[in-house]
Amino acid sequence: MHMAGAPSQLELFDYKPELQKLDGQVCPSEFLEGKRFAFITGVPKLLGPAWPFHREKQTGLWISSLLPKFEKHLDKVCMIHTMQTDQFNHAPAQLLVHTGSQNLGAASFGSWVTYGLGTVNENLPGFIVLLSGGTNPDGGKSLWGSGFLPSVYQGVQCRSEGDPVLFLKNPPGVTRELRGEMVDRIRKINQRAYEDLGDPETLTRIAQYEMAYRMQASATDAFDISQEPPDIHALYGTQPGRESFANNCLLARRMVERGVRFIQLFDWGWDTHGTGDDNSVGKGLKRKCDQIDQPVSALLTDLHQRGLLEDTLVVWGGEFGRTPMQENRAGMEMAFKGRDHHPSAFTIWVAGGGIRGGCSYGETDPIGYNPVGEGVPVRDLHATLLHLMGMDHKRLIYPFQGLDQKITGVKPVRVLDKILA
Amino acid sequence: MHFMSKSGWVWRYRIAGILCSGLVLFSLFSWSLVVIGGEIRFAQEVRPIFNKHCISCHGGVKRAGGISFIIRDSLIGKKPQPVIVPGKPEESVLIQRVTSTDPKKRMPPPEHAAALSAEQIEVLRRWISQGALWEPHWALVPPKAPVIPRPKGDQWCRGSLDRLILARLESAGLEPAREASRSEWMRRVSFDLTGLPPSLDDVRGFEADTGVDAHEKVVDRLLASPAFGERWATVWLDMARYADSMGFEKDSARTIWPWRDWVIRAFNQDMPFDQFTIRQLAGDLMANATLEDRIATGFHRNTQNNSEGGTDDEEYRVAAVLDRVNTTFEAWQGLTFKCAQCHAHPYEPIEHKEYFQVLSVFNQTRDWDLREEFPLIKVPQEQAEFGAAARLDLDISKLRRAEFADAQNLGVAGSDNWSGLMPVAASSTHGTRLVHRPDGEIRTEGTVAHYSRFTVELNPPAGDAPLTALRLEVSPIDASKARLTPEMGFVVSFIRLAVVTSNQPIESVEAAKPMTGEVVLSHAFGDEAEPFGDVNAVLSPDKGGWGALPRMIGKRSIVVVPAEPLKVPPGARLVVVIYHDEGPGDFAALVMTRFRLAGSTDPGWSAMVRAEGFKARRKELAELNKERASIQSVEMPVISEVEPQFQRATAMFVRGNWLDKGAEVSPGVPQLYPPPGSTNRLDRLGFARWLVQEDNPLTARVAVNRFWEQLFGVGIVETLENFGSSGEAPSNPELLDHLAVRFQRDLKWDIKKLLKDIVLSATYRQEARATQEKLAKDPRNRLISRGPRTRLTAEMIRDQSLALSGLLSKKMYGRPVMPVQPEGIWRAAYSSEKWVVSPGDDRFRRAIYTYVRRTAGYPSVVAFDSPSRDVCTARRLRTNTPLQALVTLNDPAHLECAKALALRMQKEGGGTAADQIRRGLELATGAKAVGADVDALLSLYGQALDVARKSPEDTLKLDASPEVYAMTIVASTILNLDAVLTR
Repeated sequence: MHMAGAPSQLELFDYKPELQKLDGQVCPSEFLEGKRFAFITGVPKLLGPAWPFHREKQTGLWISSLLPKFEKHLDKVCMIHTMQTDQFNHAPAQLLVHTGSQNLGAASFGSWVTYGLGTVNENLPGFIVLLSGGTNPDGGKSLWGSGFLPSVYQGVQCRSEGDPVLFLKNPPGVTRELRGEMVDRIRKINQRAYEDLGDPETLTRIAQYEMAYRMQASATDAFDISQEPPDIHALYGTQPGRESFANNCLLARRMVERGVRFIQLFDWGWDTHGTGDDNSVGKGLKRKCDQIDQPVSALLTDLHQRGLLEDTLVVWGGEFGRTPMQENRAGMEMAFKGRDHHPSAFTIWVAGGGIRGGCSYGETDPIGYNPVGEGVPVRDLHATLLHLMGMDHKRLIYPFQGLDQKITGVKPVRVLDKILA
Repeated sequence: MHFMSKSGWVWRYRIAGILCSGLVLFSLFSWSLVVIGGEIRFAQEVRPIFNKHCISCHGGVKRAGGISFIIRDSLIGKKPQPVIVPGKPEESVLIQRVTSTDPKKRMPPPEHAAALSAEQIEVLRRWISQGALWEPHWALVPPKAPVIPRPKGDQWCRGSLDRLILARLESAGLEPAREASRSEWMRRVSFDLTGLPPSLDDVRGFEADTGVDAHEKVVDRLLASPAFGERWATVWLDMARYADSMGFEKDSARTIWPWRDWVIRAFNQDMPFDQFTIRQLAGDLMANATLEDRIATGFHRNTQNNSEGGTDDEEYRVAAVLDRVNTTFEAWQGLTFKCAQCHAHPYEPIEHKEYFQVLSVFNQTRDWDLREEFPLIKVPQEQAEFGAAARLDLDISKLRRAEFADAQNLGVAGSDNWSGLMPVAASSTHGTRLVHRPDGEIRTEGTVAHYSRFTVELNPPAGDAPLTALRLEVSPIDASKARLTPEMGFVVSFIRLAVVTSNQPIESVEAAKPMTGEVVLSHAFGDEAEPFGDVNAVLSPDKGGWGALPRMIGKRSIVVVPAEPLKVPPGARLVVVIYHDEGPGDFAALVMTRFRLAGSTDPGWSAMVRAEGFKARRKELAELNKERASIQSVEMPVISEVEPQFQRATAMFVRGNWLDKGAEVSPGVPQLYPPPGSTNRLDRLGFARWLVQEDNPLTARVAVNRFWEQLFGVGIVETLENFGSSGEAPSNPELLDHLAVRFQRDLKWDIKKLLKDIVLSATYRQEARATQEKLAKDPRNRLISRGPRTRLTAEMIRDQSLALSGLLSKKMYGRPVMPVQPEGIWRAAYSSEKWVVSPGDDRFRRAIYTYVRRTAGYPSVVAFDSPSRDVCTARRLRTNTPLQALVTLNDPAHLECAKALALRMQKEGGGTAADQIRRGLELATGAKAVGADVDALLSLYGQALDVARKSPEDTLKLDASPEVYAMTIVASTILNLDAVLTR
């Protein structure tokens, strides 16, 4: 689950009482020298957390008041507080977190996983992408693109409104029976062509048409959330036929049940700069949290109650974090409280398949600016997630342009053993 | 065998191809596979040992002990103990170390890998004792015309190409396939040359033509068709990463289609490939560059532009320049040159520094990741007006340069005729703090806010001569760093001058209100000959201004001239107010941070602006500008060189980090290449000429390989993007060299003639039928033991549907169009751009005219492997997926074609459904319909007719009669047949 725009770790997960005390004070110069920011300029002021935190009883983890339902699942969750990236603009940072490279052209994490694991349901795409928030993520479709991998591994963007997969439905007036007959004739004529010409691709094409025909039925069924009972709709807060994060969470569970290997939800609207009330870390952030708190919790509950959570890995995060300083765009004071993009430390949480629940990993300094000790670069997270899915990041390679390409690149990488169950 | 000496290397170069019977392998790695008389061959036997066992520590990236098994000099000349002593294996450290029994000395170290085998050590030993001759990688040796073999079945051959193919086939124990039927060849050649299916009339006409030149007539007609340019431009657009949007977050619209049209015209006019190259890389620098030449430079303005708020324009300018270098090498050289961006190339002899030497060639362009995409040129909408527009542009440029030269003579920058004006006070709005120093310099302190307006009080120059000009000089904070990593720039939107007596308070700086004692400033002169905007904009509060947008690499200056020479009364002071109201101030403060003011009493300034010649020139300029504006034009981004005073210094990036600058470099080409020939200056033009100079080993090979791949489905070198030692070896090296030499020398880079050669060959005329034997011995048809059979490209699939249905619009060129697309594809962040289906025939244009938005491609071409055009794509990997079936079965655009085809079948086919179906199959494949296929579709027609009669509401949804409905179902099925989706 990618919260495009970058949710504020300082309002949600990384509790910093010291930052509260320093609210309104000038940011010390050691945090500014040699740093580049998207919007902060000159000498900004520190900004205390806009929402109260408390300690969740069972796990002892600190959590903000903005996610009351989610907090009941902390026993299944591990928070990584010291995530780091080296990009501070949305599109490049989203590319980095999804493809391991800030440049375009690399393969997305979902494509790598699909390339590595294959599929267990041939009637559905192996890698499904669902969007909410009304806007595509800043990085566009490259975030689920196959890059240098063959395009069969690219994520298929599905929709919770309209045709779930583009061109899935028969054209108006073409019945399923008639379509069956069409595919039958295509098979017959292609088979004859194969016998004449001996091109093996023809056989593949026959198979693909038959799979497309089956997919029309199975995908339509898979995406029909109106089949769910009322208590499930109540649990998620879903309304069939609309595009929403809640619907996408419920769809995700249906995909997990059907053996889709990789499902990615993108939700847009987390870029809390404070240029208006709607994107402040106050009201704006609360609005976004209200949209996701129940569905995320419902998904964890639902996967758990169906026995699916133990072999499903749930990952939630953004492309970077947000600054401990209040944004001062173009050197001016802003009317609402907001934070700029912050690549040096941010929180991503993981739950389910193979994760030690109720834990946190890494610690940031008293104002949440830098990790104390070593941070967790995106490549470490990638390696850890691949490990949890049974793959060694060093051996998941694809030869391209003379190099055995890996999602983790060439720098040193470690698997985060401490978060494993 | 002969020796060549170059760059201190002794190269042994051997033309491979002597094949011993009994040792022939059906391998891709056929660059000679034979042992000749016990002599060790470096490329086949030695280099693989180095690459596998040595170069991860002693290679391009890591050179432990300064030793690299990629670079011969690091092995031979090494002191005190050479790694290799030619002729003396036992004195060579290499042999000592690989045979050592001491685990501390043994190479490869026991903890890393097992010892070399006895055979491998023997190979190395013999190679050294035979002189340790080094051979460069095959692709780095210029191609030579191969000896043309005389195969046994020579009567089959129509030319050298066929002989080279047949010799390979015979050595593999294969025979060529029969000649294809006329309809099969015609379909193949029509798609290959024009991207469109042949008309049935053309097929029948060709079948009836018994002349010996029947094939040639077809080819000549296809090569002359305007569709030829559209087909081949599509291939080049992948290379150029052409799109109609800028990329990244907002992915805003970009107007660069005039470049796409230039490519189509270039192919249609049969522009030789060398000219095609030079114009795209450096058309702007050619003597007497035409408007078309400047449009051609759009090739490298297809880089992405990141206009996301808060992005660093220098960072993405650098990214674009890197992309230009990488794309140039991938598209023209098939080299993974970009590997050398962060370190020396791991496999090829390319040094880290050499990457930056090439970068410095490309680093002198004016573009700077601005969302306005400067520099732009105005391209007339009507091609007929290109000439007039170009003449006006030239005249305007001359007048601007003349005025610039006059002002420079008086000294806009430098010169002694200026006296520094000492500030008495300096203040700013918006909370920005200013301090001034005794030497007259004024600086900001702390946070600088955008829109800050500076008010500076100054003492007038000494003496009583009137003030004739005021100069503003702006400096970077750290000039030595800014040279290599530019500082944030500034835009001055308005400069005002007033004279105040000592006790007057400074007045409001509201733009609308005049100031007491305000002096009218009438002229402004900047420090560049042709800035993007008019510097005189600083004389008024209106739009526009002058400055360093978005960054500054050094000192900048502007002079403003009062309408009348200014006499300053004794005791009075000057007040200068500077506004920063322009620029993309929503995120960055484009405000001066360090500046000083100077005054001049040189009467030359007043004299210049009063001179009749000056006034006449300005008047003429205004008239010419007006005349140019009357030519309806679109503005497109182009490549253009910086003015000499703004030349950039280029430094290496330490480990690829653009913020960490290392040693400075000057322009150069990598040592592995022959040096540039005739040119004495290695600018972009010199570089482009060097790429196509006679002894470049790669340009012609890479080009002919691409044409071959388009025609045969797989390149002679399968990795079109990588001809290096880590790429695939050529399946038929002699053929590759034959084609390269023929293209470059005999045909003088003539693309149409090259294609004509190939498509008329016996090789290309083979039928595609694959026998069991051929599938076993040549499974992927790398030897071309039969005719090629490949799936149509994404663009061909769309164009074919339109062509068969009769809907295809023949209109060429112009703005991209928007055919039918499902809702909800376009929803980029912070963008209000919408997909609006084009009216009329525009939705039936060829796929090359479909709007390409990078972050949200047109779904039905994306499904068929059309790339996103984010980066150069030298090769499309063909896939075969169920989602493709959904597109051609269900996409409303394809269904619309199916219905139109059904109507056509009914109109042209005759009275019975069977005849109509036969007609449909023949239209779609060009071949005679097979009875069983007609029967199969006839029964489908019957079933569909039943459905239509039983539930008329279904036919209503298609807006069709039962017969049209049923035939539409059949037509849609035809459009999905394997025979129709392939060529």
